[in-house]
Amino acid sequence: MLIELTDVRKKYRRDAIEIPVLDGVSMSVGEGDFLALMGPSGSGKSTLLNLLAGIDQPTSGTITIGGTTISGLSERGLAAWRSRHVGFIFQLYNLIPVLTAFENVELPLLLTRLSKKQRRDHVMVALDIVNLSDRAGHYPRQLSGGQEQRVAIARAIVTDPTLLLADEPTGDLDAKSGDEILTLLQRLNKEFRKTIIMVTHDPHAADRASHVYHLEKGTFVAA
Amino acid sequence: MKFLSLIVKSARRSKRRTVLTIMSVALAVFLFAALRAVLDGFNAATAGSSSTRIVTIRSTSLIFSMPTSHANGIRTIAGVQDLTWANWFGGIYKDPQNFFAQFAVEPESYLRMYPEIILEADQKKDFLEDRTACIVGDGLARRFGWKLGDRVVLQVGIPTYGTQDFDFTIRGIYQAGGSAVDNQSMLFNWKYADERSIEKGQVGWYVVKIDAPDHAPQISAAIDQQFANTPYETKTDTEKQFQSSFASMFGNLNLLLGSIALAVVVSTLFVAANTMAMSVRERTTEIAVMRTLGFPAQWIFLFIAGEGLLISIIGGVIGALLAWFVADGEKLGISGGFAPVFAVSPGNAAVGVGISALIGLIAGTIPAAMASRLKIVDALRRVA
Repeated sequence: MLIELTDVRKKYRRDAIEIPVLDGVSMSVGEGDFLALMGPSGSGKSTLLNLLAGIDQPTSGTITIGGTTISGLSERGLAAWRSRHVGFIFQLYNLIPVLTAFENVELPLLLTRLSKKQRRDHVMVALDIVNLSDRAGHYPRQLSGGQEQRVAIARAIVTDPTLLLADEPTGDLDAKSGDEILTLLQRLNKEFRKTIIMVTHDPHAADRASHVYHLEKGTFVAA
Repeated sequence: MKFLSLIVKSARRSKRRTVLTIMSVALAVFLFAALRAVLDGFNAATAGSSSTRIVTIRSTSLIFSMPTSHANGIRTIAGVQDLTWANWFGGIYKDPQNFFAQFAVEPESYLRMYPEIILEADQKKDFLEDRTACIVGDGLARRFGWKLGDRVVLQVGIPTYGTQDFDFTIRGIYQAGGSAVDNQSMLFNWKYADERSIEKGQVGWYVVKIDAPDHAPQISAAIDQQFANTPYETKTDTEKQFQSSFASMFGNLNLLLGSIALAVVVSTLFVAANTMAMSVRERTTEIAVMRTLGFPAQWIFLFIAGEGLLISIIGGVIGALLAWFVADGEKLGISGGFAPVFAVSPGNAAVGVGISALIGLIAGTIPAAMASRLKIVDALRRVA
């Protein structure tokens, strides 16, 4: 298994009140799976995604990804782990507005020891996969929402990460653009064997996944 | 190098804000360097003073004159080796804006007293032989494009000298061999001014050469004692004290100019810090995204602090260069006489740039620390 979660709990503290968000979640995800996480608002699906991405830490329980127990890593260790193993796709794309599409995709590669030419080659391959090679020099404001999300996907895959995590990747797109993004994610899963976990509210989007998990009040429930 | 372009692109995010911040830092450094240059000018004039020259003025004020007969009395005092005198003329060259200092001096003894006035022998001879001759500093000659033999007409600025214009011929162009004299003044024969003066035989101050620096207090006291209880009581100081007391007429310059410079620097620091903080607040999501991509918190700190430093140093360099080219007493025509010759030294310019770096560092550190400590999930949630 690529991902093993054992009895993961997460509580947030608001002033003196503790709010449980995940309540003893356990799951296993195999390499090459395409998983959709569904559930109502506040069910804990984004929190679970953040824990898998290593941008948040569980209150208790263990998370092991690719043999590394990330729930025990330091802040710095997590940052290094993320840069190598995780590609994150945000709902609102979150491209850096002052950088071109090329530079946005290149960003994660700045953390590697690759030469300028190697970085350029990697970026062009990633942009080619998302079919945006001709927009490399465009700034985010010069792209449509669908194109921006494709650049964000190129940024997520440029380091060839173990795991792709998508937080409602079609949530801000029209139906056509959303469909294109889902097709692209499916292609990345099938053609490039990328393990993908996607949070979504949309049942049509979830249909593209190989497995669908439902979360309610911090625990998995049957669909 | 790959990160420098990222910092530069970030700094160019809001061009107007960046330019305004750069300008505020540039202005602060410009003011700092210019004010330091003026202070250094006063200090250099004091430091360059001779320890064997003492200056006698009227006890009431420098602006009041005293009779030439005082010279005889001063010469009788033990330890006095030589003596000269001078008057402030205050003439106007074409327009009051063309201000420069003119001194009516006793030519021979004045040049003897101030070997720092470097004048070629033939020019000195011409100056001494011609009653309407004048000599000018090379800086002043450059300013007005004067050359030997040129005629200079000065309108009377002080009513004591009547109403008729004074005609001079430039017989010498001197160089300043020390900071006790400047190259922005004009010297001419005291007799020429005196013959048209309403009050004959009056001088502004005496410069006395003494035998040893150690004797200055006794000789000064003896001079002042000699004229005590006369209508023209005197006050005698060493040249250094005289320069210092002249500077002190403007108040405590070090404190005054230093306070202004400090206030400007501190207020600029607040402006720059506020700008950086605003810039970081606007970029909360971007910072969270970069952290998600794997950029360590320390690097985020360096990016933000580096951006503040870059903006500030650019401003500092512009301010220092501006001060270098503009804050020059000679070019501005405000040096000369008792006002110091001042210009921004490389040291002052470098300190100015250093201060800009310090402003950038301090202004960038707090927002950078805020940005690097940002919890990724909180930052993402703030916008999502």
